[in-house]
Amino acid sequence: MPIGNTQPSVRLASAGRAGGPAVTSPAHRGGARPRGGLGAERYAPYILVAPAVLIIVLLRLYPLILGVNFSFTGDGDQNGEAVGFGNYQELFGDQLFRTALRNVGLLVLLLPVAVAIPGLLATFIYLRVPGHRFYRSVYFFPAVLSPVIVGAIFNLLLAFDGPLNAVLGSFGVGAVDWLGDPDIAMFMVVGVHIWATFGMALVVFLAGFATLDAALLDAARVDGASLRQVVWHVIVPSLARTIQFVFVTTMIGMLTSMFGLLFVMTSGGPEGSTYLPEYYIWIQQGQMNRPALASAASTILFVIMLVVGLLQIKLLDRSGKED
Amino acid sequence: MRRARLGWWLLAIPMSLLALATIYPLLFTANVALKTRREYILDRFSLTDSLNWANISTAWTSAGMGRYFVNSLVVVTLSVLLLLLLGSMAGFALSQLRFRGSSALFLGCLAGLFIPFQVVMVPLARIMADTALIDTYPGLILVYVAQFLPFTVFLMTSYYRGIPPEIVDAARIDGNTVYGVYRRIMLPLGTPALLSVGILNTLFCWNDVLMALVMMPSAENRTLMIGVTSLRGQYSDNIPTFASGVLIAAIPVLLVYLFLQRQIADGVAAGSTKG
Repeated sequence: MPIGNTQPSVRLASAGRAGGPAVTSPAHRGGARPRGGLGAERYAPYILVAPAVLIIVLLRLYPLILGVNFSFTGDGDQNGEAVGFGNYQELFGDQLFRTALRNVGLLVLLLPVAVAIPGLLATFIYLRVPGHRFYRSVYFFPAVLSPVIVGAIFNLLLAFDGPLNAVLGSFGVGAVDWLGDPDIAMFMVVGVHIWATFGMALVVFLAGFATLDAALLDAARVDGASLRQVVWHVIVPSLARTIQFVFVTTMIGMLTSMFGLLFVMTSGGPEGSTYLPEYYIWIQQGQMNRPALASAASTILFVIMLVVGLLQIKLLDRSGKED
Repeated sequence: MRRARLGWWLLAIPMSLLALATIYPLLFTANVALKTRREYILDRFSLTDSLNWANISTAWTSAGMGRYFVNSLVVVTLSVLLLLLLGSMAGFALSQLRFRGSSALFLGCLAGLFIPFQVVMVPLARIMADTALIDTYPGLILVYVAQFLPFTVFLMTSYYRGIPPEIVDAARIDGNTVYGVYRRIMLPLGTPALLSVGILNTLFCWNDVLMALVMMPSAENRTLMIGVTSLRGQYSDNIPTFASGVLIAAIPVLLVYLFLQRQIADGVAAGSTKG
């Protein structure tokens, strides 16, 4: 609410500014002011912006360039020497990195599930399913927990001698090594990630619903549309932008905020089956002392994120236009 | 029609099950944290009847969670205050003042939004080591500020755009300097946005693992979340103490959520609708 309700007046600022006097042109009135304050006043906007810009440039943009540059140099004995695409070649030859990339593919496949669950739940909550307020606040709650806390909790629940297996056992189902089986572990980690983050997407969807024209829904209802028709023909097209936003942010979340879960739940194992690029970067940098190789992996991660973002925006823009 | 309504009510079953799946893991952990080790081994699910607070105090002292708690508190508080100060200054200038290069500077700040920490981690660790900031409070604070500043500037700029420029003009005519306008008008007017963005930044910094792990290598400088990661090895054979440590780290966030639920959700929503 606090930030959201400013939206209608956003236009005002720029429109009203056109003929606006004073603030932005202190120099014009400088004659009437004591000279000492003049310079400071004129540069005031820059002085106000400078710290933020400096920090962002020095600790974000500059390191990005530095890192890309660094990825073309060698590690260890070859420290600082140019090696061309050597690091990249080594990366693609590394079984662990290939697994990490394959897992990115898995994430892309699971992405629709991770978007559909919060989307559907938000639809029910928006249409005021009985108890909608309760559901809203309960569903959102895991989203505020740290990934390591979530990971630690699920370490307890999924332990071989833990509660989940105990429940299965009481139904006569044999114990499963949830985090120790290379074929299962990655699905468990992704599942827990979805469990922990669907509330975030839910809230974003609900914010999208707030912009939906209620008259459209009423019209559809009067025409006798079923729930499924309402969702498909009214809600999905109207929320195209929100859906697009959730797709992109969910994918980025999967690529950049699963470190805590991986670190606590599996440490990349069993048999390296739960590696993701971000985990690989950390291992190469922190454990293997291969910073240049890690930089190459970082650059690839950055490229993946750019491609994913642009591709999704493009695809979804097209589907939005067809409607 | 009637059938549709019945189906609507039947939705309560899956939705309640999901709600249960959402809160049960934490309730389970809280219950285990208060059990004795023997109780846990005998029965994982029964309600604790001992209310065994000893686990909590063991985790707080022997596992060092108390010390990590203080580290987190200092780093997060200072990071968030700095974020709010720098973010509101830049947001005010970028939205209400006209000056050469302002849109370029705004785009420069936004560009930071698209660069995740993992991508700049290696060079950043090197920069921090070269400037002797690694393993210090100011180092981690700077990293947090750099990480969350683009988002903060973005939201503060959007918020301040909604404030009519006439207010600034009037304050100027009354003889305020630009800084005076910032301090006397913009800072107080920005309170709702500062609150939202402050809460979100607090959660982000408090919950972070990777940046703290990379920037704070020595054991005594660990933050609370890094403390949680080290609990596992330490108490793998004493699950109730392990659960207590997890609970200690989770409780502050749960309290914040309980009281500020709306503001957190609004902050997230604002971040998305402005995109």
